[in-house]
Amino acid sequence: MKSSDAAPYEPMDDFDFAILDGIREFFAQADPMPADLPERIRFSLAMRDLEAEVARLADEEDSRLTTARGVEQSRTITFDSESLTIMIRIDPNRNGTVRIDGWLAPPQRREIEMQTAADPLRVSSDEQGRFAFPSVPEGTARLVVRAAEHDQGRPGRSVVTPALIL
Amino acid sequence: MDDPRSATASQGRADRRARIGALLDAARDGSDDALGQIVTELSPMLWQVARATGLSSGDAEDVLQTVWLRLLSHLDGIRAPMALISWLVVTTRREAWRVRASGRRQLPADEEWFSELPDQGPGAEEQVIIDDQRRTLWAAFGQLSGRCQELLRILAFVPRPDYQAVAAELGMPAGSIGPTRGRCLAKLRALLTG
Repeated sequence: MKSSDAAPYEPMDDFDFAILDGIREFFAQADPMPADLPERIRFSLAMRDLEAEVARLADEEDSRLTTARGVEQSRTITFDSESLTIMIRIDPNRNGTVRIDGWLAPPQRREIEMQTAADPLRVSSDEQGRFAFPSVPEGTARLVVRAAEHDQGRPGRSVVTPALIL
Repeated sequence: MDDPRSATASQGRADRRARIGALLDAARDGSDDALGQIVTELSPMLWQVARATGLSSGDAEDVLQTVWLRLLSHLDGIRAPMALISWLVVTTRREAWRVRASGRRQLPADEEWFSELPDQGPGAEEQVIIDDQRRTLWAAFGQLSGRCQELLRILAFVPRPDYQAVAAELGMPAGSIGPTRGRCLAKLRALLTG
């Protein structure tokens, strides 16, 4: 077949496009984008805060607990940013909402906001860095740890997590 | 590899480009909804760009979030769908390699894609022939260098009208009339037909 000595600088023909179509079909099937990713990106674009420090997902772990009420699934997620590590544990409530328990490291008092599609929820962490949202609606949400008053003379920055699906 | 929809594919591509152009104009005028629709439309392509560098899923998600946030401050300078797609692909690739170089988590070698070809289930004779063609393609693709695999995986997801601009941005030769196949595709053709 003459195409075997196809030169790199020749214009592309139907065979080239068919090859690319084949590659695309393969990867679209073998490694598709997570279906909910665009929704999470849209959510973080809508709630943008250009001054904030963005925390990165550092670790995520699912565990199944067998309790008196049956098998429950709990997720533990860790976010890292330059100034803070945020760890949260998400447990389902019986009414379709979730409970979130969280810890800040290093431990400190901060105002913490849970931004959801509905109104934001606000709590404060205690001196040990612990905080809790007893009832958060399911759906897309993200945490914002509000700037500390002053960080050794410098104005502090808020820390936001990527959007997550609860 | 014949696509039964190819008769309408060309029209479909023109429509898609016009739609992205209109969304881009609206997004520049501050429409969050238009921007959101662009995100939905183009993220699957950017996912492939990020993953082609060998990033884990979690890192690829972070990269996409970063790139879309960064687009907000560049939106004013981006006037045409081609420029948008080109900017997104190049920025995603650069950010993905930056994260990869920081070396937090990486996938093992690329071979794993090719050992587990998705099974199409029991099929008629036609299906067997198509599967055969696919197997031949993956076997050949797997013999390419890592860089060629990455470039071809990216280009396979770039909308055809923008192929030339993106290929040029990625350092592949662009012809004066239309896109040229470039060294990686020429090598793959040789493996398939040689």
